[in-house]
Amino acid sequence: MTRRTRLFTAAAALTLASGILTPQASAQHVSPEVVMLSNGMKFLLLPRDEEPNIIAAGWLAKVGSADEHPGITGVTHFLEHMMFKGTSQVGTSDAKADAEFRRQLSEVRDRIREAVVEEQYTRYAHGDIDNPWDKSVDTPNIRTLREQLTALEDAHREVIIANEFDQIYTSEGGSGMNAGTGKDFTFYYINIPSNKLELWTWMESGRLLDPSLREFDAERDVVVEERRQNLESSPTGELDERFDSMFWVSSPYAWPVIGWMSDLFSYTEDQVRSYFRTHYQPSNLVGVIVGDFDIAEAKPLIEYYFGRLVDTGVPTPTVMTFEVPLMGALRFEGECDCQPQCEVRYQAVPFGHKDEAALTVLADILNGRTGRLYKSLVEDQKIAQFARAFLDASRHGGYFSFSAGVKGEAMPPELEAAWYEQAALLQDELVSDRELQKVKNQSAADAYRALGSNSSLLFQLAIYECMESWEAINNRPLAIQAVTAQDIQRVARTYLRDDNRAVALYTRRAPDPDAAPVAEITLDDALEGMPADQAAMLRQVIPMQIQGLQAESDVSALESMVNQARQAMANAPDDRKKFMQYMIQEIDKRIAELRAQEAN
Amino acid sequence: MNMPELRQSFNTARAVLAGALALIFPTLAAAAAPQLVDHPRDLDFPQLQFDAPQRSQFRRELSSGVPVYMAVSKEFPLVTIRFAFKGGSYLEADGKEGLAQLTGSLVRQGGTQSLSGRDLDEEFDFLAANVFSSITQTTANAQVNCLTSNLDEAFALFMDMVRTPGFDPERVETFRAQAIEAMKNRNDVPLAIAIRELNALAWGADHFEGKMPTEQSINGCTIDDMRALHARIFNPANLIISVVGDFDESAMTERLEHALAGWTFGSPVPPIPAPSNDIAPGVYHSEKDAPQGQILIAMRGLTRDDPDSVPVLIMNQILGGGGFTSRITNRVRTQEGLAYTAGSTFSNRVDYEGLFLAYAFSKSVTTPLATRLMFEEINRIREEPVTDEELQTVKNQLIETFPRRFESKGGTLITFVNDEMTGRDPNFWHTYRNKIRAVTKDDVLAMAKKHLRPEEMMILVVGKWDEIRRGNTDTEDDPDRIATMDDFFDGRSTMIPEKDPLTLEPR
Repeated sequence: MTRRTRLFTAAAALTLASGILTPQASAQHVSPEVVMLSNGMKFLLLPRDEEPNIIAAGWLAKVGSADEHPGITGVTHFLEHMMFKGTSQVGTSDAKADAEFRRQLSEVRDRIREAVVEEQYTRYAHGDIDNPWDKSVDTPNIRTLREQLTALEDAHREVIIANEFDQIYTSEGGSGMNAGTGKDFTFYYINIPSNKLELWTWMESGRLLDPSLREFDAERDVVVEERRQNLESSPTGELDERFDSMFWVSSPYAWPVIGWMSDLFSYTEDQVRSYFRTHYQPSNLVGVIVGDFDIAEAKPLIEYYFGRLVDTGVPTPTVMTFEVPLMGALRFEGECDCQPQCEVRYQAVPFGHKDEAALTVLADILNGRTGRLYKSLVEDQKIAQFARAFLDASRHGGYFSFSAGVKGEAMPPELEAAWYEQAALLQDELVSDRELQKVKNQSAADAYRALGSNSSLLFQLAIYECMESWEAINNRPLAIQAVTAQDIQRVARTYLRDDNRAVALYTRRAPDPDAAPVAEITLDDALEGMPADQAAMLRQVIPMQIQGLQAESDVSALESMVNQARQAMANAPDDRKKFMQYMIQEIDKRIAELRAQEAN
Repeated sequence: MNMPELRQSFNTARAVLAGALALIFPTLAAAAAPQLVDHPRDLDFPQLQFDAPQRSQFRRELSSGVPVYMAVSKEFPLVTIRFAFKGGSYLEADGKEGLAQLTGSLVRQGGTQSLSGRDLDEEFDFLAANVFSSITQTTANAQVNCLTSNLDEAFALFMDMVRTPGFDPERVETFRAQAIEAMKNRNDVPLAIAIRELNALAWGADHFEGKMPTEQSINGCTIDDMRALHARIFNPANLIISVVGDFDESAMTERLEHALAGWTFGSPVPPIPAPSNDIAPGVYHSEKDAPQGQILIAMRGLTRDDPDSVPVLIMNQILGGGGFTSRITNRVRTQEGLAYTAGSTFSNRVDYEGLFLAYAFSKSVTTPLATRLMFEEINRIREEPVTDEELQTVKNQLIETFPRRFESKGGTLITFVNDEMTGRDPNFWHTYRNKIRAVTKDDVLAMAKKHLRPEEMMILVVGKWDEIRRGNTDTEDDPDRIATMDDFFDGRSTMIPEKDPLTLEPR
């Protein structure tokens, strides 16, 4: 197959003149062919020769967590998971039985939800239970319903071909199939061999036309585990989530993309289907194909397969609530198992705003090994392990963020103070010509680097098209080159204001009380709850044993005793645990004593 | 949206589309309009011919004998020159753990003989050159990527840096302090604890894969130590160069000849040592206040060039290496909803046997059930032949995705450089797809029996042990799904004490 590259219509190199790089206005120009289907779905087609035999393909739905509301937070992401379950035909050996199982499962699921709301939310409100969705506090009624659900799921499995949607692609050489959900968009992508474009159009239009929501409850549990794995197991995950939620006052960016835990447990199939119907209309979708293919071959496939999607004619709802000004400085202080750190975050601008380029350059001046933050906070003041700044410009709002982690004995408020000095400097003095030219040089070279792979092009085209227009891929590098020192000073004064910021300060949580008991355990504490005769016996014997520890001067022998005791404690009945803790405490004391002697 | 509605819109769309197509593409309607099939298995695809590139197409030698791989691409005015060296942290003396990592960073960060670290950064940044260096366990790398128009200046600085790095004392101090600061976070991420303890148990504390730097070892790394390690690794005896991007081959050869002139060859680095440690089977647990149990199941695996490695790859793709199209992921994640991540891998080493690893992360109460299901799948693939469909899917996958290994010129050169450095058969990639095609169901069964030996496996669990051990006794409605950690190795387990992050001593 012969192909032609559409990527560059003008490729002029940056030229080196007396130490200053002068990027030419048309340094790069990406020009995909735009195809608009009659149902309103838009396609961007970009053949590229550099990676033979491979196509990167994807489609984006202009729907993200910002389109949700409390009660269904996270549903955009959950729906993304469910889109991999196949269609009414793909993923089952018996479409009719499969549909019937799904109907019955939905019925039981809805009854469980109803029962939890009626019984468990009330118990929760009264303080009788901590979590209405916790299975270990199920009422007998809910337990019975759950048993029904499990039995139906097990029977349903007989007609499910698990992960068939994935298996078909895998068997045909599809790789890297995945999807991502954000605040503003949901994006589905894959790499496929050049000769399998029809497979992609079949599969993707198929799941858009007729998605099956089978394995609903198991997938809900998967997403719950995803939340635990990626958010709650991250040292700062839960605090970051709370800080985000505080920072966005009126904007729907206030809740996490993955959703609040209580909402994850509560979705119904009706809710998810209705959300799909509303937000996955063809006019709300953008398809992108990049790589080794011919437009003439791709177009009829796209027209035919994606042309099957029906435009309902009902406009997709858009986010109406815009962010209100903070009108004051917010402060959030928390503890976690994390490096002590600080973030200072300012309300800034959405994607495409006229100040976006200047704020981006401002961040570049601060970042990197030769940026102001590293030089000042890390190298000169030696108070930071890392320090960085960035602009996050989303579709409906944005923020500018400074963050840093402490080094040595420094505390987060010192980082905060050091940042305010940097911000004042940007407001008071113009950045130097050389600093500005340096970041522009880097930005110009990075603009090339960003075009160097199919998947990077795929992501940029799709996401820019969702945010504003795919043409941002060509326009943004030019906007960066146009930024002046005066622009940077102006945006520093406009956005880095005291009444426009929220500050997060995290400190390291004190070690777990089991590892280092706060209050010393007495022998009486340790024996509490034991049968009286046993306690009396131990009360005599134990002090002698403790005394005996004084004879042991081998630290490693004592440490192995502690290890044994810890193991024994893990296996001990609850009423013996305190006792084992007491023993560990006493051996630890002897170890500390020996170590102190050693040190002298 | 219920099913009847869907079916309706499906039919309508087809009818509308047929008409539209005929109008818009009068010529296509007959010739190229696809036929809608009920299932994608009924689609036909044109044949795609792919021949793996030959190493020799790209390989040259400088007059000194240093190999150079070159691939020209004129897509962008950018060029990347990469120096790969044999040698790594396995060369660290006892008590100097962390020296290789520090040295690797500081070649780039420590300036040159004439420029401080800060001044060298300033030069590279102004030239918009991306430059880095690193030393990993068994290889070291230095790389410059810049606009072709800046290559003269950027490459001259790069060569100064690679041949005679400055090890600027201020930067050395900063990097030492940062390494120690990073250590303080060692107990923060549950998976990081699990990987650290797995390495210690699997490789032993006397092997470089099981060793970890401490505050003391980092403070003991002197600038003289760094200079010595740099000289030992960063010299032409260990070097393979690769160049990709917008350049002229003969000019580049000349440039490299000139740049390497007078650079003394050292003695080649010694071979990479094998571990002496055996994995002791059993359950191990380490305490961490975390919402999930991290489960790692491990046993000794095989070497990269073992003839079994190809059939074992297929066996493992079916077991847990093939993402959603594999049994562990299917069972633990898709069917039971116990984890977001679950699977298995054979991580082969070139110089000694690597590791088999099965993994899942599940809430405390279902950690034992997830563990049990993983063992059920390990046992099933040892006891019953896989299905024809499973085998065919994996074989197709490996054959059809094979071209991706060579999709980019940069990636192709990295593969070939790595192959030469590790002494791989130059014909390996040419016979690879035939080796895949030859694997049978009997081979898969034999491989599973031979290389998966549950009685030799260790189970490492990091999390809240009291909750994990008890399992889902209180939360599970189905008695067949109740599991506790006492179900494994007769309920015996070994506690791994929490470690001080700076000393790695139990605390």
